[in-house]
Formats: sequence, structure tokens, C-alpha cells
Amino acid sequence: MGHEMGSDWVRLVVGLVVVLAFSQLNALFLVWLERKVAGHIQLRPGPKEVGPFGLLQTIADGIKLVGKELITPATADWKLFIIAPVFVFMPVLVGFLVLPFSPQLILRDMNAGVLLIFAFSTFTVLAILAGGWASNNKYALLGAVRSVAQNVAYEIPLLLSVMSVVLMVHSMRFAEIVQAQDKLWFIFLQPVAGLIFLICATAETNRAPFDIPEAESELVAGFHTEYSGMRFGLFFLAEYTNMFIVSAVATSLFFGGWQGPFGFDLHIPGIVWFLMKTYVLIFVIMWVRWTFPRLRFDQLMNFSWKVMIPLSLANLLVTAVVLKFI
Amino acid sequence: MAEQLREPVVDQIYSLNLGPQHPSTHGVLRVLLDLDGEFIIKADPIIGYGHRGHEKMGENRTYKQFMPNSSRMDYLSGMLFNHGFALAVEKLSGIEVPERAKYIRTICAEMNRISSHLLWFGTYVMDLGGFTPFLYAFDDREQILDILDSVSGSRLTYSYCRFGGVCKDVGTDFVDRTRAFVKRLLSRFPDYHNLVTKNIIFIHRTRGVGVVTQEQARQFGVTGPNLRATGIEYDVRKAEPYEIYDRFDFNVPVGSKGDALDRYNVRLEEMVQSCRIIEQALDQMPKGDYHNESAAFKVRPPKGEVYFAVESARGQTGYYLVSDGSAFPYRCHIRVPSFGNLHVLTDVLKGTLVADAISILGSIDVVIPEIDR
Amino acid sequence: MAKKDDILQKLREMLAEDAIRMDEAYKAGVAFSAQVPLDKVRDVAAAFKDGGFYLESVTVLDFQDTVELVYHMNAHEPKSRVSFRALCGHDQPAPTVSDIFATAEWQEREIHEFFGNPFTGNTDLRRLLLPEDADYYPLKKTFGKVHAYVKREEIYG
Repeated sequence: MGHEMGSDWVRLVVGLVVVLAFSQLNALFLVWLERKVAGHIQLRPGPKEVGPFGLLQTIADGIKLVGKELITPATADWKLFIIAPVFVFMPVLVGFLVLPFSPQLILRDMNAGVLLIFAFSTFTVLAILAGGWASNNKYALLGAVRSVAQNVAYEIPLLLSVMSVVLMVHSMRFAEIVQAQDKLWFIFLQPVAGLIFLICATAETNRAPFDIPEAESELVAGFHTEYSGMRFGLFFLAEYTNMFIVSAVATSLFFGGWQGPFGFDLHIPGIVWFLMKTYVLIFVIMWVRWTFPRLRFDQLMNFSWKVMIPLSLANLLVTAVVLKFI
Repeated sequence: MAEQLREPVVDQIYSLNLGPQHPSTHGVLRVLLDLDGEFIIKADPIIGYGHRGHEKMGENRTYKQFMPNSSRMDYLSGMLFNHGFALAVEKLSGIEVPERAKYIRTICAEMNRISSHLLWFGTYVMDLGGFTPFLYAFDDREQILDILDSVSGSRLTYSYCRFGGVCKDVGTDFVDRTRAFVKRLLSRFPDYHNLVTKNIIFIHRTRGVGVVTQEQARQFGVTGPNLRATGIEYDVRKAEPYEIYDRFDFNVPVGSKGDALDRYNVRLEEMVQSCRIIEQALDQMPKGDYHNESAAFKVRPPKGEVYFAVESARGQTGYYLVSDGSAFPYRCHIRVPSFGNLHVLTDVLKGTLVADAISILGSIDVVIPEIDR
Repeated sequence: MAKKDDILQKLREMLAEDAIRMDEAYKAGVAFSAQVPLDKVRDVAAAFKDGGFYLESVTVLDFQDTVELVYHMNAHEPKSRVSFRALCGHDQPAPTVSDIFATAEWQEREIHEFFGNPFTGNTDLRRLLLPEDADYYPLKKTFGKVHAYVKREEIYG
């Protein structure tokens, strides 16, 4: 009994260390990927000087950010100001605990795994509001307030589309949801829910075309106006890590997780399938960012409340009715 | 559509400063906005950050010495401003221009118009959040700048025109490169239309936004594509044909509603029409002199005045020159199009959303140094 | 009839015999130019507004003996530019036309800050291009480096 508990603890600690390391490396990689994708879409090469193919560019940027002075505005509420970036980054890391990388590589296969991820991702909204408020800056506050409104509005259709999947599987455990897709991925059974999820996920992570809260070319410079150095770096990294988490959740819920298409493994390990699908989705999110202009804020809110929510409710209803009669 | 649904309570109005350092104001512009929530009640542009005293310089430089000044006022239409100034002085002094020089000047002016509109296109969509068309437009614009660099020596602020022609002749290299460029640009327009014009988000950001009525245009002296977007078909190249514009077959695109989408469409169509003019000019260009050698080195126009208007990229540019018979102008006043185009915003921005202010400002296409002179 | 012919008739009724100088050949860029006494500027401007014209530009010429306000009007028709001019003294207040043509508000602000003539009736005469606290008038011929400062008849005869 004690031996099992011991190995449990060891497993947890090792898992946490691996998760932390992986999330940092992943964030570094994604920053490089974004700049390369942006470059090639814009007919230019992107970073190529630092390291082969510019791979060490992010490390150079990180060193620069760490070296910058951490300025706290004199009139800012310094306690909230300092805590906010930490609270943006922390909950995102929690999400890594329940992601189904492969049948053996789930750190904690909780029976409310889906709920955990979405519960913790809501923390970031509070942290953004805290950061914007604590900055004591008209523009930062406007950006933070808009971010809160946007997040709340798009959280609802996000959860409703997830509910449609959970209804089909009768479980919130990630491993079971992935295993239920061994014949056919849920994206084919629930295309509307999948599309809604991807759109709302883009809005949740404040990515274009929903990036009004942090847009530089709008009237306000965004909620992280007053942040400099590594504090800004934390906001930045949190955005990319969040992007990974939502793509990973989309992969698990709609694209079969660690399984190959139609159950054919092709002898490729599950984790490779999982990461491949996740990064393809991340690439699509980046692709969308560099293609479309930005929606105006009231158009954004109208789209959520008048289009997304009715659509996701209707989808849930249809799912329920169909399941009743099968 | 966004409408103001109630009268603002006076003590809820707060003022917000847009600029002068801001990524989206083109040039150094400061707009003092009085806001009620998200609606603009009053917009007060504050300009003058780029005042360099060009009109005073005009009275202290000879006519030839003022030529570089003319292209630095609106640096995006430098060739068009050069052209207008040269034409004004030639009209005042009665200097003849050889045929070849007329064609060269017209081709360079139209290329300048295209490059100005391309830059506007890229920066406007970038203001709205679409970062990619900016780089595609600049790719095309680089070719124009390279071509004009090879003839005039400068990429942006030219002093290419002289009184009686141009300063350097063009070779077959210029003709071939320009033809190739026009062909390539016309093939790029389907890309621009697919990427931007048909994009539903772009249409939502521009349709019905920043409507300028015909009466407003008349009251504030709006000219150029902004005027044509409201429905009034007035182009100086057709109304008072100067140089050789009456020999070319081109249309003047006109909008109907006066919103930002109309202004966008008018400018894109103007680029296509400029390509047509360039092609016809290249076909018709004769051999001959590129400069009227008999024109005096130091121009001393007879006593009198002239008001000469040309169609620059932003609207009608007027040169009002008063000569007292000496080598220095007595008065050199330039009527710039962005003056009226910016002024109309004080009326148009009332009652609009702050988020639309950027879109409207971008669609009007003002260049502030032109206003500041 | 073209708008400029309509307005020409109207101006002939309003002004003296020799006040209008025709220029059919468009040599100076205007179809005709009218000399208007300072107190009739507003009436003439209102007549132009009714005739469908818009104000293109207002500027000032600074001579030794007088100051001349030059208004260029245009209609959205081919070759329809006309101008009317009024003489006034140095630093003498001139009547505003900003309630007739909105663009005159800024044009008059510019004239005031560069030449010193205030405009009665213009509610907003803040500095437009110069700094707010400028107390000099740069385009006056008594300011800074100047090449020529002549009487009006030396140019216009």
C-alpha cells in the first residue's frame, strides 16, 4: 500500500516536472512557428539569423525580455499589478494535467477532466481584468473590460458545443471521450459543434480576428500596455500555451486524440498522432490570424450572442433528440 | 447599425486623445475626441506638428529652387506635385513643352498615383487588423519605386520635372520595365479582390461606415476619390484637361453611397484606370526632346498670377502663384486636398463609434504634412 | 446654362460696371475675376452658394498699401473656376464666410495666424498650424526674410 502511494507520488512529481518543461519548450516553439508562418504568408522568410532556421530566435527574445527593467507605474495598484501576469500563466499549466497525450501518458485521468480545463481557463479572465485595472490607465482598462466581455460571451457557445460531445459519450473523462472515437472521429458526427468550438477557442485565446483587447492599431493599446519585461513575457507565453491547450482539447474532443483515422494506427505511437493533430490545428489558428482583418467590438459581441449561442443551443437540442431515438 | 439612442448627459462626457503618436494616424495627427461611452460627440483635429513653412520658403526661393519643396509636401504624390508646379510655372511664363516630355511626365505621374493608392490600400487594411495585404501591396510598390528611381534618382521625393520638360530622358529600359510592371499589377488585382474586397469581415467594417454626403463634400471642399465616392463625378483630369490627358481614353470611377467601402472601391478602380493611361501613353510616346532648351535657366515670369489645378492622389491640388516679374515668386500658395478631406471629419465623426474612427480616418486617406506645409 | 454663366449674370447685377474681368482663354486659371468691396463679400459668397459653387481656397496677398483677400470658387463642372477679391487694410478685421461655407472656418484660421487679419463672426480663431502661443505672423512681408514688398499696382496695374 505504501509502496503504491510512494510510486504515485514519484509519478506525480516526475509528471509535473515534465509538464513544466514541455509547456515552456512548447511556448518557445510556438513563438518561432508563429513568426515563420506569418513571414511565409507575407512572402518573406521570417527569422533566419539566430540558429538554424531562426530556431533560437525565441531564446534570444526571452533573454532580451528578462534583461528589461520591470517598470511599475507609480499610480498603479502594485500588488494586483505584479500578481496579474502570474495568475494568467498558472491556470493554463493546470490544463496540462488532464490532457490525453496517449493511453499511458495522462498525468491524472480525472473523471471531470473536461470540466477542470474549462474551469481553470476562466481564471485567466480574472487575471486580465486585474492587470488592466491595476495599471491605472484608461486604455488598459478599456482593453481589459472588452476582454472580459468577449471571454464571457464566447465561453457559453464553447461549453455548449463541448456539452454536445459529452452527451454522446456520457462521460467527462478525456480517456473515455478519445476511446469513443475509435471508429469515427466526432468531427464527422458533430461538424457544427466542432466549428463552433474552433471559433470560440480562437476568441477565448484573444487571437485575431477576435484580438480587440490587445490590438495595437486600434484606439487602445490593450490591457498589457503598462507591462514591460518578463511580466509582458508571461502574458505573451500564456497566450501561446493557452492556444496549445485549446487545440489539444479540440483534438481530443473532435479529432480522435491519440488515435489514427478510422482506428488505423499505422504503427505510429499515440503521442505522435496527438501532437501532430494539435499542431495542425494551431497552424490553422495562426493561418486565420494573418489572413483576416479584425471585427469591430460590437460586431464581435453580436456574432456571439445572436449567432453562436442560438446555433450551439440548437446543436445541443438536435444531439439530444437524435440520441433519444437511437 | 450602431446609432446613438439617447441624448448624452453632460457630466458623462469624457475626452480622449487620439495621437499624435499612434500607429494608425497617417502622419502626425492629434484628434481630440469628446466621448459619451463609445460614441463620439465632437472630434477636433489638431494639426500643425509638421509645419515647415513651405509657403514662406516659396517666397524666398527661385522657381527652380522650389521644385524639391513641392514634392515634400505630399511625399506620397511627389511626382504629381512636381508636375503641377511645373505646369503652373509654364503657364505663367508661357514656356512650351516638347511632346515626348509631356508623355514622360504623364506616365511618371500616373505611376506615382498607383504607388500612393497601393500604400493607402496596404495601410488601411493593416489598420483594420489584416496584416498581410500590406506586404503584398509593398511588393508591387517596390517595383514602381525602382523604376522611378532609375529615371529620377529618388524613390520617394522626386524633383524630376523642370520648366519645359524633365531633367533626364528615359530609355527603352524604362518602357519595357513599365510595361512589365503594368502587366503584373493587373494580374495581382484578382488576388487583392479575393483577399480583401470579398472578405466578409472587411465588408462589415466598411459598409455604411463614415458616410460623406454630397452636401458635406460641397461645404468642406472635399475633392478626389472621397468626392467621387459620394456620387459627384468630378476629376480635374477630365474637367480641366491639362497636359495630354484629353488624348487618353479612361473612365472616372464613381461611387454612390459615400461610405468607406465606396471610397475603397473607387481607389482600386482608379489604379486600374491609371494602368490604362500608362499603357496608352507608352504606345503613343514619340521620340524627340525631353526638355525645352530655349527655356531660361532662371525663370522670370511676367507680372501676373495663375491658379493651376492638378488631380493628385488625394484630390485637387491647386498652385496659386503671383509673380512680380522677378525670379522669386511674390506669393506661392498651395491648395491641398487633404485640408478639406480632414476638415469634413469634424462633421462625419459625430455620432459614430470610437472603433469606427480608425476605419473612417484610414478610408479618407489624409497625409498630414500636406496640410501642415 | 452653365453655373458660371448664371453667377456671372447675378454678379453683374450686384456689382459695379468694371468690377468683373473676364478671361475666356482661362489664362490665369479662372473664367472671370470679380473685384468686390469688403462689405459685400458675404452677399457675394451667399450668391455663390445659391448658385451651387463651393469654396476652393481663400488666401491673402500682402502688399505695401493694402491686403487683398482672394477667394477661389469652383463648381463641379468643367472649367468653372471663378474668383472674387476684396481689398482690406493690414490687420483690419474682415467678415467671415464660415457660416456659408464650412471650409472657410479653417481657411480663415490659417489666414489669421499667418497674416494677422481677424475675421469677425468666426467663432474659432485658434492657431491651426502654428503653436498655440505664437504671437508672430509669419507670412507678412514685414516678418523674416523677404525679397519683394511692393504696392498692388506694380503687379496688377
